[in-house]
Amino acid sequence: MSQRLQQGFSQFRKNPAFAGFVLFAFTILLNAVIQGPGSFFGVRRLNTLIYTSLPFLLVVMAQSVLLLSGTMDISVGVQVALVNVVTIMTMQEWGLSFILACGLGIGAAIIASLVCWLLVSVLRLPALLASFALTYAIRGVNVLIMSVAQGKVPREFYRPYQSAIFDMVPASILALVLALLVWAYVRRTRFGTNIYAVGANPRNAFAAGINPAKVQLQAFMLKGLFVGMAGICLTLVTASGNPTQAEDYGIRSLAACIIGGLSFGGWGSMACGVFGGSFLILTQNAVEFSFRRLGVLIPGFTASTYWQNFVSDIIIFLGLLMTMVTAKGQREALRINLQNSVMFKRRAAHGK
Amino acid sequence: MLEMRAIDKRFDAVVALKGARLNSSPGEIRALLGSNGSGKSTMIKVLAGLVAPNGGLILLDGKRAAIHSGVDSRKLGIATAFQDLSLIPTMSVTENILLGNEPLRAGGFVDKKKARQTIRELLDRFHIDCDPEAYVQTLTPSTQTMLEVAKAVSLNPRMLLLDEVTAALHYDEIQVLFQILRELKAQGLAIVYVTHRMKEVFEICDTATIMRSGETVIDAPVPELTLDDIVYYMTGQRPEVAASASEMDVAQEGETVVDVRDLEVYPKVWGISLKAYKGEIVGIGGLQGQGQPEFIRALLGAEKVATGSIDFCGRKLSLKSPADAVRMEIGFVSGERGREAMFPLRTVQENITAGKVAKGNVGEYMTPKSLRAFANQAVDKYNIKIGELRDPASSLSGGNQQKLVIARWIAMNPVLLLLDDPTRGVDVHSRREIHKILRQCTDEGMTVIISSSDNEELLDISDRIYVFYEGSVSDVLSGEGKTADRLVAAMMGMGAANQKGGDQ
Repeated sequence: MSQRLQQGFSQFRKNPAFAGFVLFAFTILLNAVIQGPGSFFGVRRLNTLIYTSLPFLLVVMAQSVLLLSGTMDISVGVQVALVNVVTIMTMQEWGLSFILACGLGIGAAIIASLVCWLLVSVLRLPALLASFALTYAIRGVNVLIMSVAQGKVPREFYRPYQSAIFDMVPASILALVLALLVWAYVRRTRFGTNIYAVGANPRNAFAAGINPAKVQLQAFMLKGLFVGMAGICLTLVTASGNPTQAEDYGIRSLAACIIGGLSFGGWGSMACGVFGGSFLILTQNAVEFSFRRLGVLIPGFTASTYWQNFVSDIIIFLGLLMTMVTAKGQREALRINLQNSVMFKRRAAHGK
Repeated sequence: MLEMRAIDKRFDAVVALKGARLNSSPGEIRALLGSNGSGKSTMIKVLAGLVAPNGGLILLDGKRAAIHSGVDSRKLGIATAFQDLSLIPTMSVTENILLGNEPLRAGGFVDKKKARQTIRELLDRFHIDCDPEAYVQTLTPSTQTMLEVAKAVSLNPRMLLLDEVTAALHYDEIQVLFQILRELKAQGLAIVYVTHRMKEVFEICDTATIMRSGETVIDAPVPELTLDDIVYYMTGQRPEVAASASEMDVAQEGETVVDVRDLEVYPKVWGISLKAYKGEIVGIGGLQGQGQPEFIRALLGAEKVATGSIDFCGRKLSLKSPADAVRMEIGFVSGERGREAMFPLRTVQENITAGKVAKGNVGEYMTPKSLRAFANQAVDKYNIKIGELRDPASSLSGGNQQKLVIARWIAMNPVLLLLDDPTRGVDVHSRREIHKILRQCTDEGMTVIISSSDNEELLDISDRIYVFYEGSVSDVLSGEGKTADRLVAAMMGMGAANQKGGDQ
């Protein structure tokens, strides 16, 4: 039993998601220690934490799909806002039902994704620059649709989203489970393996009879779906519309993926993204709490959110450094292994 | 069954194929032979759908076949094992072999159970000893090559193309491969086999097609050909009776500048000894990928030396980086101008003076006037055709760009200049001028080591030629022994060194 456990652990250590998992576990522990386990794991607080951070987590999943297929889109943040404004405005101006408006919102995210695919996969512009430029274009569209923050969501929709089922399980987590199920299915189809092949080496994938542009098109569609879901969730969190929110999701989701152990193209798994994203959320949560607590303990202590961001970003930076160290260790072990076996074979062949 | 007629292919100004043809019939193993750059690989790539020909006709069963992509090629029943491999290093063995061909069950799921069974059978058949779940990048090159072949065979093709797959294989693996090829042949597959190893041609191939500079020279059954014939068709020259004595140990006059002994650089260089004397041009020949670039980069300190020693001007050389080499007065010109040598967006002047700048102290002040004079002098001396000194270097033609890079190094007056295939993709005229420049330099006492994929160039310019084969020196040619056929023979591993020591 213990041997199997040991074996399982050494397997897991080689997993690309290992570093992300360690960071994730560390921040869970950190939160539990500074807030007290009873308080942190309490249903109410945990529920709030999960439903407010779910939109970001879904965006990270969307970004992970793209990174695996060898591309990226940093305009995902403003696309989330796009879903939000489309949903609210079609409901407010055209009198559509909330469900129908959500459908339109998701459609808008998919269309935005297709535009990005066109720029990146068909016209072959560098993904970083193309999607950066797209950020400003989509932001313009957002403001055209909705000039200032406004609108509201019917109570019967946002209340269930923000509640906990049987006072135990946050209802919002169903959206995450749904997204993970979609990915679990996709991963087991041909498209799932093709994503990895195209991400790692488009030329070889092409030689193996795969159409890289088509696989990336499918990846962008899937990412559009996830971003759409994120937009809906954000709308349910804020219960209103705001054309300029969530803009930093783009670059932060990229950071989350890299910290979780994904690299540009065909290496890593969805778990990497989820762990990386959770690490970011929990770090921020812990820092925010500590600053609040300091304010209580030391009378007159105030710190702006800039200071909070400063501290949490330093922790995130340290996390990034750690992934570099583990990745280097993995590469080095691989190289030595390979070298030894090559040398062994060559020496045998040369009779040395 | 398959017929390729009058295939033309040009890459910009370089003609890769002109009117090449190839036939293949079921139950036949056809050897596709030719020296470097004769167009064999391009022919294979045309059939695999990776290269679109500019002209010509491909007939399959008498019908015109349109191959525009890897998918088309597979649909026609053509499977290819590529020389540079088409495996995805970060995917598992199973995923790689079944890529694009995964067995499916209801709901579009990949059938893992069936996949596992297929893979196990395939690995057993090829005697490949590896974990089906291992990432391909963790396997040795020879195992990867076997997987590449297994992947092609697993598609159950009508036609199998093997592009130099045995280059990385070991003796026992080759025997396994040959056994499978014989089985496939008996099943009626058409097989096209590209190789540089003549022994294999006589062992396994039924017919041979020989190419020379993009043209098909001859189609013939293998039993009707002798080794001499094949070398003749490949080079256009009848080999004379093999030179009797090896010039391996010819004593040379003059001062030894470089003395390399038993150099090993993993995984490509296996015990190379080489000497270069003052004022000499030493050529390094060989087929592609026999360790030439690794050897040169080891001299430069860019590759880690495993064992062996390098003496430079009588002192032991231990370099940590190319910057150390520059300090020791060693210059390096790469064939890959874009990647390793040039700053395409910077001006001509900056490109010429870059090396001089790098050599001086960081804080050293250089007047614009002196830099301009320096650049002007280099441009005049080496006859580089430029518009203005302040034009970007990318505005020059390929040949002039290369002259620019060479001029940069020569201007620093190094003791030793290393060139790695410097004239790749350079037109004949510029090539001749580069040769002239190198000659001038050696007359002034510089030592030059040049590797080249062009045999004519090597024979033309080198005082002595070391021929590399599988990471060792298979022959050293100099003086009278410097002939095209001996060079080609040595490139195939039939050099004096190997004959003397017996085949591996």
